[in-house]
Amino acid sequence: MFEPTLNHREPRLDWPMWLAIFALMVIGTAFIYSTTSVYDTVGIWRRFREYSWSGFFGWLAKQFYFKQVFAYGLGLVMAVVFCLFDYHKLARWSLVIYWGSILLLVAVLIEGIGTTAGTGARRWIDLGFFNMQPSEFAKLSLVIALAHFLSRPVEELRLPGVFFKAIGMTLLPFLLILKEPDLGSALVLIPIGLMMMYVAEVPKRYLKRLVGYGAVFIGLLLVNVLFAPAEWQPLEQYQRERLLVYFGRDFASQYDTPVERQRAQARQRDKTYNVDQALISVGSGGLTGKGWRQGTQNALGFLPSTVAHNDFIFSVIAEEKGFLGSVLLIALYTVIMFTGIKIASQARDRLGRLLAIGVVVIFFSHVFVNIGMNIRIMPVTGIPLPLISYGGTSVLCTLIAAGILQNIYIYRRFY
Amino acid sequence: MLIVDQLKRRDPHLQLISLGVLAGMFTLIAGLWYHQVIAASGYRADLEDQTLRSVRVRAIRGKILDRNGNPLADNRPSYNLNVYLEDLRRNFRYEYTNSVRKEFYRENPGKRLTRSAADLLQREARYRVVSNILYQVSSRIDQPRILMEEDFHRRYLNERTLPLLLLKDLPFPQVARYLETCSTLPSVALDVEPTRYYPYGSAAAHLLGYVRLDKASTEDETFAFTYPLVDFKGVKGLELALDEQLRGRPGMKMVLVNHLAYRQSEEVWQTPEPGTNVVLTIDIEIQRATERALATVRPDVRGAAVVMDCNNGDILAIASAPTYDPNTFVDGLTPEEWKSLNDEELRPLFNRAVYGAYPPGSTFKIVSGLAALEAGVLNPNQIYRSKGFFQIGSRGRHWKDTAGAGDFDFRTAFAFSSNPYFQEYGLLAGPQKVVELAKRFGLGEPTGLVTRQEASGYLPDHTRLRKRDGNRWMDGDTANLCIGQGEITVTPLQMAVLTSAVANNGKVLIPRLIKELHPLDAPDAAHALPAGQVRKEVNSRPDHLALIRRAMLDDVEYRDRSGRRASGHLAAVKGMQVCGKTGTAQIRSGGKDYVTWFVSFAPYSNPKYAVVVVVEEGASGGGTCAPVARQIYEALQKRDNAPKRNPQEASINSTPESLSRPADLHRLRAIESANISHLLLHRHANLVGVSHGRDTARPYLDVEFRIFDVSSSDVHAWDREHRLQSVSFTAFIRQPFQIT
Repeated sequence: MFEPTLNHREPRLDWPMWLAIFALMVIGTAFIYSTTSVYDTVGIWRRFREYSWSGFFGWLAKQFYFKQVFAYGLGLVMAVVFCLFDYHKLARWSLVIYWGSILLLVAVLIEGIGTTAGTGARRWIDLGFFNMQPSEFAKLSLVIALAHFLSRPVEELRLPGVFFKAIGMTLLPFLLILKEPDLGSALVLIPIGLMMMYVAEVPKRYLKRLVGYGAVFIGLLLVNVLFAPAEWQPLEQYQRERLLVYFGRDFASQYDTPVERQRAQARQRDKTYNVDQALISVGSGGLTGKGWRQGTQNALGFLPSTVAHNDFIFSVIAEEKGFLGSVLLIALYTVIMFTGIKIASQARDRLGRLLAIGVVVIFFSHVFVNIGMNIRIMPVTGIPLPLISYGGTSVLCTLIAAGILQNIYIYRRFY
Repeated sequence: MLIVDQLKRRDPHLQLISLGVLAGMFTLIAGLWYHQVIAASGYRADLEDQTLRSVRVRAIRGKILDRNGNPLADNRPSYNLNVYLEDLRRNFRYEYTNSVRKEFYRENPGKRLTRSAADLLQREARYRVVSNILYQVSSRIDQPRILMEEDFHRRYLNERTLPLLLLKDLPFPQVARYLETCSTLPSVALDVEPTRYYPYGSAAAHLLGYVRLDKASTEDETFAFTYPLVDFKGVKGLELALDEQLRGRPGMKMVLVNHLAYRQSEEVWQTPEPGTNVVLTIDIEIQRATERALATVRPDVRGAAVVMDCNNGDILAIASAPTYDPNTFVDGLTPEEWKSLNDEELRPLFNRAVYGAYPPGSTFKIVSGLAALEAGVLNPNQIYRSKGFFQIGSRGRHWKDTAGAGDFDFRTAFAFSSNPYFQEYGLLAGPQKVVELAKRFGLGEPTGLVTRQEASGYLPDHTRLRKRDGNRWMDGDTANLCIGQGEITVTPLQMAVLTSAVANNGKVLIPRLIKELHPLDAPDAAHALPAGQVRKEVNSRPDHLALIRRAMLDDVEYRDRSGRRASGHLAAVKGMQVCGKTGTAQIRSGGKDYVTWFVSFAPYSNPKYAVVVVVEEGASGGGTCAPVARQIYEALQKRDNAPKRNPQEASINSTPESLSRPADLHRLRAIESANISHLLLHRHANLVGVSHGRDTARPYLDVEFRIFDVSSSDVHAWDREHRLQSVSFTAFIRQPFQIT
């Protein structure tokens, strides 16, 4: 009874995933509107009626939610484009894609090309109509390149040279992104590399050793960050402080003078402020939330308006829609991730399987880190919530990744 | 099922990844469950802590009215000019970027602006904006003021949520000028606040007491306010005694603030409940006449007077001199004012009518005479031969006597106040008898005044006679006591009660001060306090009391064959049949410190009023106090002859609670007919309606601006030269509204 019949038509589109993606896009638009148009009393409809056409669209083009919708549209087009050809064709271009993204990562570090967009880190390339974030592309290109590289026969993977090459492919963008600096985005590359090697069936002993050394390194780093004086730190000061916040330790060390101590305390208040306010937003939402646009944390400015619509948008959703809304959001992401795993298992070959797993890991690490930092189980990093956080590059990459999943699904095994 | 599919396929790699994804998502859900469900209430409290500020809203204090409804303590609107800082945020920013910061760069070229320096500059910008506004407003209303810099920064830091008070209690002409010139100024508003006001100034000041602005919450308040704000608190007199009723219940306003502590919106959580109106037994006309009469003695007279209805105990007037103006306390006193109020000699804050314990002097002969009568040792018609002094034994204590030597019977001894006569018979009756009778008259104990603000005077214990200093009681002490000296002090109020008891045939009444309480929320539930409460009966024989009354009439009207007039003759009022007793007592034996008395009631045939007058350092009871009493009786006579007024006529409840009632159509129409071009209503301005325009009904009247001062139910208007015009116009009353 499981034998496929000849006239049986297999579905070409993976409906549950796309429904979840659409739902997330609707939620994203609604909450970017909620966070950025708090004091817009005029409303879209009245502006539409009263403004001239050019005036109306000029105004609309400046609205964050409209820009986001535009990015959704562009992303969907890209997703369709990435479905038009077999993913094997994509793999053939993987080296170009990989080195292209490396080139972008180098370019972003050059003053004049890269822009800080008013923050402390040089992470964006100003394209005029929007700021592109190359580190987002780097994640996807690493997935494509690694999938292509690791899809060689299993026997070859036993060679240490191949293993070290794979590590090198991961570390190159990692270091470049670290240089921006953007520790959060850089760290996302590690699980991508590890998981893809794991699924590609690189010998376990290699992986174990790698994870072991990595753990020792991270352990030493943490000990250094937490207990050594400030001048011995390898990390940027703000990165170290974020980790200190995460582990609930004082900024000031016992060697500091009272003045330094006072400054460190003031800085600590500033640094913990966002997390504290995000937690108040999430917690005060309760079971059912206060209702759309009824949250006060963002409206009254306690949640800083610079982060409310991107990195901390989850806290706004949690405040306004409560625990139930948060769980719904997580459920939607879970649907996408399990669809990805299913597609991986149905993939025609190892390339498709690896691509799909890479995409799943991107999704998982983003969702886990972003929501985790809102409830303080993860340190604060600039990692967006896929499809929800405001940001064109992120939306584009996420939808391209979904398109790749769909591509693998189309060319899956039908048995 | 999606998940089961994966696990069935015997694909350990994907199974592990599925498990990892599931574990991660469940970790998130567990974390969210903890924060959003288990710990949610804590976060909600944090949220309220940082976003909500509670503010106490002052309730309208109850009025104190006299028995005819004339307000003795009232509320008037105080017009305060406030600036709303949250509206100025844009101005602050503009001033900072376009002026203060530019200046900084010009003065320090190439220097980087540090964070703390920027904070200081922003501070400076804020001060400039607000002080500029104050300067503009205050100079336009001809009252140039400069904003105190430190004060502003302090208030900005601590009370940013509240409107910032610029000018307090503007007089009407300046209010008009403000509306004329500044009504378009942004973020400034004229707010109205009720403030305490004593229309009669110093009249009955000691009785009313005074209020002070106080921040402290009272025990019965259920909230701890972030901003308690000041409220009026009774400090003395009735304001203190009835503080709880008068105060009402303050309301609470919740202000939602943003992360910079600026006001975002506000909501009234509890509206203030106005205090209870109190109707006194005082008649303000009599009160003022009494005070005027006392003042005729000499400019800085120290004394007291009590006017009491001797049949039901109502206090019609209770005065103490010198007095003070309670209005000066409302806004706080200057040090000089405070100093003059605490003058050692005059002690203006001291209420002599209830706290002044003086030796009664000869007025006590009412008691000692009656005691001798009751003891049966005195035959009123028997002649007593006075030597002009009194001495116990041949070498005992010696008392001089102003009445002189001569033959006295009871009437003449009383009328000329012969000391030896009463000392002789008092000794015969015995000190126990005298003290016991005095006690029956209520001396030596509080009269039961509702305010409980009174002294009890001093009277020895008649069961175990001892002197105050513990020494043995001697006959000399008895002789002294019989003429109201030595071991006895009484208050003027106690003497009024005693005189009333004589007049009303032996009922010791509880003096009544408060006639009714009118709770404002339930005007029909006026609560009247019982009149004519008898504290105790004297239980003297009516004929003895009648004899005393007759003797008291003689004290005013008697004239002997030689033409000598009785000591109280200056109190005589035609048609009033005043009966009285004069007294002059030494405060310290041998000293020059005299206190002079006149206790009286009238009319003789049908006693209605008891009047007691005390003057410190008077010449004599008859010379100093009797004329004061005469003037009081004249006022009482006038009152009796005046056409009877309806006691509730002055509509006790007309204001202020009607302010909160919605404006009715009729009143609105009255405004419309005046062709008002616009009606300005300011924030919180529930008490004031302001109109701009010309009165069509009176085109000849060049009225440009009009302020409806609803608290006094009439309209004040000004012409262009700010001359006050009185326009009969229906007051416009606006329902209080909230900022949304």
